[in-house]
Amino acid sequence: MDTTQLLKGVLDLAVLAVLREEDGYGYDILRRLREAGLEEVGDASVYGTLRRLFAAGLLTTYVVPSESGPHRKYYALNAAGRDQLTRSGKLWRSFATTMDSLLDDRGMAA
Amino acid sequence: MTVTEQEITDYVARVRAALADLPPTRRDELTEDLADHLAEVAAEADGTLVERLGEPETYAAELRAAAGAPGGGRNLDQRVATAVVRVRSRLRSIDTRLGPPLGYATASDFLRLLRPGWWVLRGYLAAMLVTVISTGGSFGLLPRFGGELLAGFIMLVGFVLASIWIGRRSAQLTRWPRSAVQVGSGVLVVFALSSLIQAEDRMRYGDYGIDPTSINGPYDQVRDVFVYDSEGRLVENARLFDQNGDPIRLGYPDCEGRVDEYGNPLLRPYPYCPDLAPFGPRAPGAPMPVPTATPMPAPTATPMPTPTAMPEPTGTATVEPTVGPTATPTGTPTPTATG
Repeated sequence: MDTTQLLKGVLDLAVLAVLREEDGYGYDILRRLREAGLEEVGDASVYGTLRRLFAAGLLTTYVVPSESGPHRKYYALNAAGRDQLTRSGKLWRSFATTMDSLLDDRGMAA
Repeated sequence: MTVTEQEITDYVARVRAALADLPPTRRDELTEDLADHLAEVAAEADGTLVERLGEPETYAAELRAAAGAPGGGRNLDQRVATAVVRVRSRLRSIDTRLGPPLGYATASDFLRLLRPGWWVLRGYLAAMLVTVISTGGSFGLLPRFGGELLAGFIMLVGFVLASIWIGRRSAQLTRWPRSAVQVGSGVLVVFALSSLIQAEDRMRYGDYGIDPTSINGPYDQVRDVFVYDSEGRLVENARLFDQNGDPIRLGYPDCEGRVDEYGNPLLRPYPYCPDLAPFGPRAPGAPMPVPTATPMPAPTATPMPTPTAMPEPTGTATVEPTVGPTATPTGTPTPTATG
């Protein structure tokens, strides 16, 4: 199992988490995810996830005209998105704790 | 920045083509700011889009999966959809290529101008179809209703106006009425083509309006001719001529095994198939007719044999004059024998 497969399940959460502090546009969000250590995340995956979260009503968008280069569509968390982030975050933590203890019990090094 | 505007446009087009199976709104939603996004990608790093993002089709598959769109993988629907997209773009390029020779940007621009003409023609064809149905097959170029010319003209005007009315409103028609109009138009086109072919046939044979098929000739059923002499014997190798000396050809030699006997089958004498003679066999006492033309050779046969019959006795001397020494005992006429 490589990171790509793990990512599939948690990319929503990762994208929501990245947007918690600051709004961002597509490429910016991708860069932030990679800087955070998710090197293998794909451009289209992030773009598609943003579209899906937006369609699900968890994100709002606004366009910022840019002097150099194209207009940028910024994504921001709305109330529903923050809710979702909180719930998914809790779920992830408990899941991660379970996995940690499972691995610890079996005596595997972290 | 090494990525051009064109490259981005092409990339987006290929991604959209790979998503062609999605409903248009869903696809637009997925790709609406893809170009901006790609421009962003292009602005921040070197290399082509394909180098950095992979093939558009792969990108589309990833996008589809991440966005939770249905499909994915190369299922049948998607393959059909891509094929349709490909055919459509091919048609579009043909359309733009054919345009300039006609003096228009695209061929469809030109064809669109012809649409009202088609509407009028369609009304006429509908009137003619009713004409054919109501008058039972025989028709000319003018519409008639049950054979009535005036009623036919009224019908023609009505149909043409209705066809124009439908044509002008075809854009607003919902799905079913529109399909009905399309099917109806297709039927009229088929009707028009078949009538055209029929009219062409009638014109070419020069008897327009007259049924060209032959009346049943009394000899149509004849397949062979059997001649019997006054004794009731079957005459073989008979030939028939009319008053002008032209051979009378009846039937056709289709007997097995006898076809190749004469070069031209139509020059064969009657009967073609003696085995199929309707009357027979001959009376027991009657002499068998000789197959090889008995009456004709008889007079000419007598003068002929003389040269061929003679050589035998004299042959020894005349045939080989050079034999010389061996011929001596009998060979008086030859000069070489004595000398």
